[in-house]
Amino acid sequence: MDLLNQVLAEPMDPDYRRVSARPGPVPRSRLLLLVVAIGCGMLFAAGSVQSTRGAPAAAVERQQLLDRIAAEEQRHDELHARIEQTAGEVGALRDAALGDDAQARALEREIEAAAEQAAARPVRGPGVVVVADDAPGSSGPSDGRLIDLDLQQLVNGMWTAGAEAIAINGHRLSPLTPIRNAGDAITVDYRSLSPPYTVEVVGDPRTLPARFAESIGGRWWDHVRQNYGVSMTTTSSDELELPADPTLRVRHARAREE
Amino acid sequence: MLAILGLILGIVLGLVLEPTLPGALQPYLPIAIVAALDALFGGARAWLEGTFTDKVFVVSFVSNVLIAAVIVWIGDQIGVGSQLSTGVVVVLGIRIFTNAAAIRRQLFHA
Repeated sequence: MDLLNQVLAEPMDPDYRRVSARPGPVPRSRLLLLVVAIGCGMLFAAGSVQSTRGAPAAAVERQQLLDRIAAEEQRHDELHARIEQTAGEVGALRDAALGDDAQARALEREIEAAAEQAAARPVRGPGVVVVADDAPGSSGPSDGRLIDLDLQQLVNGMWTAGAEAIAINGHRLSPLTPIRNAGDAITVDYRSLSPPYTVEVVGDPRTLPARFAESIGGRWWDHVRQNYGVSMTTTSSDELELPADPTLRVRHARAREE
Repeated sequence: MLAILGLILGIVLGLVLEPTLPGALQPYLPIAIVAALDALFGGARAWLEGTFTDKVFVVSFVSNVLIAAVIVWIGDQIGVGSQLSTGVVVVLGIRIFTNAAAIRRQLFHA
């Protein structure tokens, strides 16, 4: 406590008293005083300028990041559109190359059926719309934020319940579409989604909900809803329109035997 | 009087010119400002008590600012920078409050 007492007892530089008590004239240096006073004022000004400028700088940086995210997402959309366009061209070229005999028509029907299975064609039809959302005020998976596994269970449950086509927040699912966690967000086809998650399922709206409830995914969601407070509402719809999944690509190819 | 004029002139100059400190010195600016405030309040009190001397003020100001910055710099080097700056702020803060109370008593006799 001695240290604190000393701080309290001698808050002023003791030299003031010592120098003024000294006999003879008081030493003066007015120029130095002026210089130090100006320096002191500039110090205050620099400090306030620095801290007022620091706050907007952080906001500007944040805005720049947001802008970059938006720009990259737009680029992603443009590339998707280009893929769609190029896929259309490929299809047209393929049709032209196949010609127009009976064998070609059979092949084309086969290709068309496979393309539907692979989600390469837009789909329109009746079905159900499931809206799933995090528990209100949740901060992590332990108190009710949805994770990739929940969406995977929902989607797989729907497939077993007889779904013909599924899209999450407008992203059509193909048999190869990954649903993953990346950081705090769920990504579908490597694009981050934000809740609520709207899962559009094309299928028979009369049997889908009941069959889903019986599936493993349905039981998973019962558990999640009862224990974590996440919400999930199912509504049937007469007319759903799901886009094609544009990420279909050639994986296996063989040179034509002449 | 000269000191107050210089102070105002310095603030105006600083706001107009907006001097930028080198990045390495920027973390020490807040602590230097607290030290400068301490020297200012000490000087003001001495002036009211009639013991003010230019030279002592200049020396105490410069040494205060430098020592405060150096202490925090050393703290940064050995990994206790934030704790040491807290310590400096506490000690200087106590001094500023005590001096401010003395100035108040001098000025208003209360």
